[in-house]
Amino acid sequence: MFEIRSKKNKILLQIVLLIMTIPYVIPLIQMFAGSLGGTGFKNYKAVWDTGVVPTYFRNSIIISAGVILLVYIFSMTAGFGFSKLHIFGKEVFFWMILVALTLPEVILLTPLFVTFQKLNMYNTFWAVILPITALQLPFMILLARNFDNGIPNQLMEAARIDGANVFQTFWYIVLPLTKPIASSIVVLTLINSWNSYLLPLLFLQDPHMQTVTLLPQYFQGEFSNDQTKILAAAVMTAIPEIIIYLLMQKNFEKGMSAGALK
Amino acid sequence: MKKKSKMKAIKMKGFPWILPAFIFVLGIIYYSIFYTFDLSTLNWNGLDPIREPAGLSNFTKMFKDPIFWKAIKNTVIYFVFTFVIQNFLGFVFAAILHSKVKLGTIHKCLIFIPTILAPATMAPVFRLMFSPQGILQKIFDFFHTGVTVDWLSKSNLALFVLMFVAIWEFTGMSFILYYAAMSQIDKEMLEASHLDGAGNLRTLFSMVLPNCKGTTVSLLMLGIIGALKTFDIPYLITTGGPNHATEFLGTYIYRQGIRQSHLGYAAAMSVILLILAIVGAILTNRFNKEEK
Repeated sequence: MFEIRSKKNKILLQIVLLIMTIPYVIPLIQMFAGSLGGTGFKNYKAVWDTGVVPTYFRNSIIISAGVILLVYIFSMTAGFGFSKLHIFGKEVFFWMILVALTLPEVILLTPLFVTFQKLNMYNTFWAVILPITALQLPFMILLARNFDNGIPNQLMEAARIDGANVFQTFWYIVLPLTKPIASSIVVLTLINSWNSYLLPLLFLQDPHMQTVTLLPQYFQGEFSNDQTKILAAAVMTAIPEIIIYLLMQKNFEKGMSAGALK
Repeated sequence: MKKKSKMKAIKMKGFPWILPAFIFVLGIIYYSIFYTFDLSTLNWNGLDPIREPAGLSNFTKMFKDPIFWKAIKNTVIYFVFTFVIQNFLGFVFAAILHSKVKLGTIHKCLIFIPTILAPATMAPVFRLMFSPQGILQKIFDFFHTGVTVDWLSKSNLALFVLMFVAIWEFTGMSFILYYAAMSQIDKEMLEASHLDGAGNLRTLFSMVLPNCKGTTVSLLMLGIIGALKTFDIPYLITTGGPNHATEFLGTYIYRQGIRQSHLGYAAAMSVILLILAIVGAILTNRFNKEEK
């Protein structure tokens, strides 16, 4: 965007960029430096020795995987339906789903709390997987539908003439073509379900069932506010996320930019 | 023409394809919305067998509640500041990283990492960072400024700390959207602008920014809904304090509904919150259409 010829301006732009980036790095430095306070790397050992870290990770993986699977299947089928199939009152259904996009999570708490207790679902993974899926679906359906709209109808027609039924058309033609948007949907859903805090906080009371976002709280109890160990736990939570991001950088960035409503 | 071929292509019933998704949305989201409407007319703590009807008293109580208005005010301030600063920074980052700079990828990663880390993971870090034991205090001490960093306990500053956290977290999002939008801009148009003698900043704000209008409107919608949904950052860092100085609708609903079991009152606020979110979405959508 900037057209820069002179060497002086080139260096100047580089310095501006550096100065702008520093505030983004300070919290990361604080996290790492803080985790080494007091007993240094022994903080990490103390956190690891509690033995709970793998459990929390396992739970987050189970929940995220469950949510991703449900969101993937239902956003793909619904996106296809809304884009390519004949449905009576389609626009009404679509708008009903879009309205749900605006829903703040906190509104779900009381109704679901009361209902899950009645259904004996309180303190199960389902109590977290189902609401997160419902919260993620509207947006992902929107993404899938917009993408499917770009698939030419002639392709569907050709498949039909060749004798393919709706399911075969979906399976052999639409699904392979939707890979780009599917990877965005998976990445966005992963970030949102992995980082989800409020629903696990409320619906998972058993420490054996809790997720990585609740680790800081657990250690606040465990180490009676020894900040250094809480930060060591934060670093241990953050590092796998950062590694996965760095490995799949392009997918993450594409997924995020799909986040812009069109 | 296009529509006709679509109708011809597949006439089979498509309803089963949207049904599972629709059941999810209806069964969880609409169920909760109607449940909330119902609760908002009650005076109930969730345990009593008797659900005492309250009419609209929860709503009249709310409009007289100074903390409710404080939460609204905080949401507006928070939205305005974070929206402007975060998108300005995201826009400038995108422009710089589209120019010929060194180590672009490293900078990109560093801005983007905050968006993937959970606020819950980072909250203890920010609590330390903005306390007298934190890194900022060391920086201020190094320059002998005499400033004491205890901003989270100051009513007039705590909200600004939360805004910093929000901007830190979401600039990556604005950046990546502007970055994608700028790749679409016609290079020749920019060259023409440069040839006409327009400086870099002039080109940036009178050529590039108007061309990213669609992105800005999208970010506006995300910003409004995001501000109304704000919960994790204030709840985890200040729990709405000190003395409700950083209370948001989300945290206040949680406090009233979950902590104090005033389910009817919390539901009434939820109804208002939902209405605000829908109105916000409709207004930006309208705005978006007019632009086109």
